[in-house]
Amino acid sequence: MSRPARATLIWRGVGRWWPVAIIALFVLAATFAPLLAPYDPNYQNLIGRLRPPGTVSRSYHYLLGSDELGRDLLSRIIYGARVSLIVAFASVIISGVVGTLLGMLAGYRRGVTEIIVMRVVDVFLSIPAVLLAIITVAVLGPSLFNVIMVLALTRWPRYARVAYSQTLSIVTMPYVRLSTLMGAGAVRVLFRHVLPNIIGSVSVVATLEFGLMVLFEAGLSFLGLGVQPPTASWGAMLSTGRNYVATAWWVATLPGLCLFALVLAVNLTGDAVRDRLDPRFR
Amino acid sequence: MQGFLVRRLGQALITILGVATLIFFVQRLTGDPTYLLVPETATQADIDALRHALGFDRPLIEQFGGFLADLARFDLGQSVVQRVPVSTIIASRLPYTLMLAAGALVVAIGIGVPVGVVLALFRDGPIAKLAAGFVLAAQSMPTFWSGILMIMIFAVTLGWLPPSSTGGFSHLIMPSIALGLLSMATFARITRASLLDELSKDYVRTARSRGVRTPRLLVRHVARNAAIPVITVAALEISNLLAGAVIVETVFAWPGIGQVTVQAILARDFLIVQGVVLLGAFVTVLLNLLSDILYSVVDPRIVLERAR
Amino acid sequence: MKNRRLLAKAFMALCLAIPAGSALAAKDRVTIDLSGEPSSLDPHVQWNPDSYYIYRNIFDNLLTRDDKGDIVPQIATSWKYLSDTQIQFQLRDDVTFHDGKKLTADDVVYSVKRITDPKFASPQLGQFDKITDAVANDAKTVTLTTNGAYPALLAQLVKLSIVPKHVVEAVGKDAFNLKPVGSGPYKFEAWQRGVSVTLARNDAYWGRKGAFPTAVFRAIPDAATRTANLQAGASDLAANLDGDLAQQLKNSPRAKPVPVLTERVAYLAMNVQKEPLNDPKVRQAIAYAIDKQAITDGVLGGYEKPALEMLTPAHEGWVDGIKDHPFDLAKAKALLAEAGPKARQEISLVTAPVYDQRVVQALQQMLNEAGLKVKIDMTDMAQWLRRMQSGPDSIPQMAFSRWSCGCQDADGVLFPILHSSSGWANAKDKTIDDALDGARQTLDKSKRLAFYKTVHERIASENYIIPLYQAAVIYGAAKNLEWTPTPNESIFLNRMGWKD
Repeated sequence: MSRPARATLIWRGVGRWWPVAIIALFVLAATFAPLLAPYDPNYQNLIGRLRPPGTVSRSYHYLLGSDELGRDLLSRIIYGARVSLIVAFASVIISGVVGTLLGMLAGYRRGVTEIIVMRVVDVFLSIPAVLLAIITVAVLGPSLFNVIMVLALTRWPRYARVAYSQTLSIVTMPYVRLSTLMGAGAVRVLFRHVLPNIIGSVSVVATLEFGLMVLFEAGLSFLGLGVQPPTASWGAMLSTGRNYVATAWWVATLPGLCLFALVLAVNLTGDAVRDRLDPRFR
Repeated sequence: MQGFLVRRLGQALITILGVATLIFFVQRLTGDPTYLLVPETATQADIDALRHALGFDRPLIEQFGGFLADLARFDLGQSVVQRVPVSTIIASRLPYTLMLAAGALVVAIGIGVPVGVVLALFRDGPIAKLAAGFVLAAQSMPTFWSGILMIMIFAVTLGWLPPSSTGGFSHLIMPSIALGLLSMATFARITRASLLDELSKDYVRTARSRGVRTPRLLVRHVARNAAIPVITVAALEISNLLAGAVIVETVFAWPGIGQVTVQAILARDFLIVQGVVLLGAFVTVLLNLLSDILYSVVDPRIVLERAR
Repeated sequence: MKNRRLLAKAFMALCLAIPAGSALAAKDRVTIDLSGEPSSLDPHVQWNPDSYYIYRNIFDNLLTRDDKGDIVPQIATSWKYLSDTQIQFQLRDDVTFHDGKKLTADDVVYSVKRITDPKFASPQLGQFDKITDAVANDAKTVTLTTNGAYPALLAQLVKLSIVPKHVVEAVGKDAFNLKPVGSGPYKFEAWQRGVSVTLARNDAYWGRKGAFPTAVFRAIPDAATRTANLQAGASDLAANLDGDLAQQLKNSPRAKPVPVLTERVAYLAMNVQKEPLNDPKVRQAIAYAIDKQAITDGVLGGYEKPALEMLTPAHEGWVDGIKDHPFDLAKAKALLAEAGPKARQEISLVTAPVYDQRVVQALQQMLNEAGLKVKIDMTDMAQWLRRMQSGPDSIPQMAFSRWSCGCQDADGVLFPILHSSSGWANAKDKTIDDALDGARQTLDKSKRLAFYKTVHERIASENYIIPLYQAAVIYGAAKNLEWTPTPNESIFLNRMGWKD
């Protein structure tokens, strides 16, 4: 390592940690929402609608203002973190696990398994993910569970493809062959030898996907296909708040900034992870 | 080589068929558009009569057979809502979609590639950090929000640009930027990666050791080689742009394919959705096929690897 | 190859087109932003609000409604009932279609037969299928026969566009849809798919001529964008805004909100056969628990008006002085306590994205405050419609809905919602069925009113449905546009003009 690079390392360390700090902050807010939120996020105070930050109405202290039904924006943002994070985490984990397993299986078993899995992957990858998501949510009906399932359904092929191509090259390595010759079963080979080797590439895909899933959820909310009202989600708050950009800026801007900060932090972290894993950029 | 071609064509056909099947049945899981077409006052008998006239009371398998038969003749059918051939609808929207995609690509490449170059050359310098932050930030905002903010600022407050719809080059600017912002980061990443890749190659090291200066090196040798992956990504990104335009087109009332498809999905206008999705799948499959064939021509070793 | 030509053509169009609504063009061109593109401009093959806004200007009807809402002559100059089932119309003889040919009784007969032909499968068939025959007695006399007395006939005929027989027969259905020819104050000029429909003034129109030589209807799906267009001066009129966007326009130097109360009534629908809503006490509690004023003033910005019955003063069959249950939370709570624990079971309130979710959420909170357990169940419009018309066994427990028959007649509202023969209905109330049947069989206005009074009172006492408010349509208009919108949600171009 050359000297200038070493000199910036500490600074870089600090610089790299703030996105993680932001993510941690949101995760904490989501986890302890009931303790942190000053009010019930769904309680409407119709007399105090669209109040600017810092106003008081009927003994309500709207620290960050109130929304179109007089609900406390701060409480909704805190609870909204839950929905945005749950949707992103759950859909990334489900699609990641399913996609990776199927990809590994296809790469290891070959034959019919490979043909079926990879053709299905092709089918899914040749339908624009956004459209497929909209079609399925429209048919299933919008709800938190359905949104997660639909996002998982449309995104797993990405992991499958990565896992598949990496598995193909790993199973030909001498030590894996040796272990197979010594009688190791499929499960053992896949989880002892293949998975540890591909988990890096899969997690790079996952970090990229995470930010995308947060934005997808918001996009579905904009089209009226997000989570059910009155559940607070940043995407839903942002899309209803658009009607008030000129009259009550805080309704859209504040959840919008949170969403922006989360996605940005995730993307920065993702890029950092990628640089770590890719030897070229060290 | 021939065996490979036949095999790849077969796979492509299976993929298209799979897409057709999936899209056909998913859409029909919960009913048909009849209820959306009639006034509230229509009686059940009226509704049944219309459903019969539209053919939605036939068994699903029969409808599917008809759809495949039409498809084999390259007939995408007629929209039940607009009562116009689906091909007419797609053809009238396609030019706008292509224009928007081109505009977005110009924005994304115009900003993304230079940022990638900066990232590769200056690594962790403050300029690189700023540039990286900018492209990542641009990607982190939902377009339905950034879109309306742009409209409020540049059309309503400043009056520089028309707020929405089509009508001249100026109408294309804001939607292109809104859409282009999303893929800037992709181009910056790939440019940076392929530049670094190239710069670490032996010929560059040799040239450098011989005293060739970096700018000259970049322009004469590196740029050309590094451009190949960027162009490949651009081709792939086009299909992403076509689909990603759904929300941008809605916000800016841009009459592209994305907008008409979302409306068709909500209106249960099955045939438009099928037509658009199949067309998209066809283009994707075709591009993949072409690139595979090209690769195999360039480097026959890849054939075996890819054919799997 | 074909695509390339198309592309080139579109590009040319893009470069050559005059920027819509620029200050220069504003005087002879009016630009109207609708939320969608018309599905078709053939007035007989769809039931779609965006088509309706446009084609009403291209076609004439036998009758129309004036700005006060009264039914007045249009193509018909006068009409008289020959019997309870036969009505004869005298037609104008100075009306020509846009292609120069005269409009005669044959065209009227053709239009009626076209839309009522089951094989034609018009979505509007249900509005006209009481008409069993149409005969041209001479070039300017038409007789319509109905299946039994049909009091809503005139109200329905306001929407039956007269199409030219010679054109439709010559070009066929699909071509007519793309290039409609009518006799109205504006003629079809161009349809740029997905972008706009352009109409040109019909200078030979027999009636009141339009003020604008050209009118452009554009499809702008996002309401916030429609509002921005008005503020930026890029459009002159926008449909389908809400109270909050109207607020935004109030602060604009260029535009103003133009609200009007419509014939549409919002109500809470219930399935009174299902637990716990089969208990009249629970329904009464619900009626007491809803604060209609808070919804109209608090949530909706004061443009809507609380409703006491399912009709508005604009309807035939509206009765003054119906008493509803005034908001009284304490009474609601007491009634639910009497109803016992079964009232605490979960009730799903079905809704779809097109309905104002602010109102739905406000309703949920009001009902839950009284002690119910209401959960919102979001679905899409196609499924919402299917479930709501699926009969008493499967209609959802509760739904928020807004109803308009587009005919301003009680029969188009109360009959489908409450009569046992309708898919929407679940009350199974003999008194209501009899009154609705009775009102359908007489042309006598006072008798009909008496029947409908029975129905209104029965609704108010049994709470089968809870009328909530008379809905407003909020348009946005350029400051210099003069226009008085009417309750029937139509945009008649020849009734607007520029303010000097």
